[in-house]
Amino acid sequence: MSEIKKEEVTKDHSHVQHVEPYTPQFGTMIPSGTQKFMRTCVLWQIVRFVAINIKMSVLILKSHH
Amino acid sequence: MARLVILGAGVAGHTAASFAAKWLGNEHEVVMVTPNAKWNWIPSNIWVGVGAMSKEDVTFDLAPVYAKTKVIYKQAKAVSLNPDGSQTIDKSFVTIEYTGQGKEGESEELEYDYIINATGPKLNFGATPGLGEGTVMGEHTVSVCTADHAIHAAHELDICIEKMKSGSRQKFLIGTGHGMCTCQGAAFEYIFNIEHKLREEGVRDMADMIWISNESFLGDFGMGGLHFKMGGFITSSKVFAESLYAERGMDWIIGAHVNKVEKGMVTYESLDGSIDTQDFDFAMLIPPFAGVGMKAYGKDGSDITDSVFAPNGMMKVDADYTKTSYADWEPSDWPKTLQSPAYKNIFAAGIAFAPPHPISKPMKSPNGTPITPTPPRTGMPSAMMGKAVVSSIVDMMTGKTTEPTHTSCMAEMGAACVASSGKGLLSGTAAAMTVFPIVPDFKKYPGTGRDINGTTGEIGLAAHWVKHLLHHAFIWKAKLKPGWTLIPE
Repeated sequence: MSEIKKEEVTKDHSHVQHVEPYTPQFGTMIPSGTQKFMRTCVLWQIVRFVAINIKMSVLILKSHH
Repeated sequence: MARLVILGAGVAGHTAASFAAKWLGNEHEVVMVTPNAKWNWIPSNIWVGVGAMSKEDVTFDLAPVYAKTKVIYKQAKAVSLNPDGSQTIDKSFVTIEYTGQGKEGESEELEYDYIINATGPKLNFGATPGLGEGTVMGEHTVSVCTADHAIHAAHELDICIEKMKSGSRQKFLIGTGHGMCTCQGAAFEYIFNIEHKLREEGVRDMADMIWISNESFLGDFGMGGLHFKMGGFITSSKVFAESLYAERGMDWIIGAHVNKVEKGMVTYESLDGSIDTQDFDFAMLIPPFAGVGMKAYGKDGSDITDSVFAPNGMMKVDADYTKTSYADWEPSDWPKTLQSPAYKNIFAAGIAFAPPHPISKPMKSPNGTPITPTPPRTGMPSAMMGKAVVSSIVDMMTGKTTEPTHTSCMAEMGAACVASSGKGLLSGTAAAMTVFPIVPDFKKYPGTGRDINGTTGEIGLAAHWVKHLLHHAFIWKAKLKPGWTLIPE
């Protein structure tokens, strides 16, 4: 790919610039803006904090014999 | 009165000693033999390695903790086992050599009725030329395996950051330093913490970041990879891990056996047999692990190390060590009671036990070089093994049974892993993963080998909070503060 100047990058695409074709990175997925927002949305993350703790507690209970 | 000796005060050994003291009371004796004066919450060494925590935040002195329990603490390293005694001592004993308490260099023959080998690994830097000599890290790379290593790593990282602020571009190489390494998770977490720190310092655009690993695919983690539910799909850890690297603009080299480390450059052999080099300004390469090198002797003084320990120095337990082909592997190959088949009063827990084989599919380069991650068994599995083993021993010591009553099999237990990216409560994100079971069972769970309801992965701030919670909860527990038994392992 030709060199792209920083100011020419469309803002919405700045976080997906690492998955160009014919690179090892092309085969993976990149989070959308919404996904990235949810990862740091405190209210949603409080819900996920409870969920992760429940999942880990269940895991521990299943693992002791 | 019977005596239980525990070798090693890591996660497995300290857990075992804590419960043994609680359950055995004054009727029996619990002795802890460990060469270290301090306990270290190793998962948080990652934060020490980026300057976000101090050594004091992740360590504490063992002596005061054991002083308030009935555990007899000997700061010493185990040198050899005499399971049948010797010509002068009838009972089983372990020879120890003091490393502290004013007795440095002194030896003692410590008799035991039961013993738990929880010595953890020998950091085998010497396996890769240039990575170090024996257990001593070399001068070309850094490590986060111990708190002191992590402090050194943070110092070197600060130097690189200053260079970047002065306009000098820097290349970071993070990963594994040998084709047979385990513990990819620690290096995985460290590269994301460095990346986060570089962003905080405003120098990310001055850094090239490269992951180098012996995994045959990104996200193998020494467990042959895993699948979990995400976004309406059953997604592989390969896609999950590649996504994290691509999102942050980090490159990766996989299937690599680092065979030489020099100043500013590593040489590595790939699974296709090619030999390449990679230059760097800052490198953190995890060394391979080996057993601590204890010997074992018969009553007549003959060397019986081979009957007690595997060739890599790990202790043989109730596993099936006969399977050599990946196609023949079964979950039942993995040990359950962690009892030595040769001696019923010897057990192993944590990294000290010899796995029957890897979990990841064994790979070799065309030159015959093995490039395969070895099984992870640190952290949560180690603690569960320590508790299960000591539960069995307590039942045997108190006369309830003559056989182990508890099991802790990696094919029947799960593990949780939290990999942070920074330490902030409102900035950065972490990956929280659960896997059940650790060793895949393709008959019980066709396709993925694991319970897709118990194997999960997600990224977000919440996982950061979990990491903080685990840090404080497990240090509280390890210090045996009020309510410590309520914190599960």
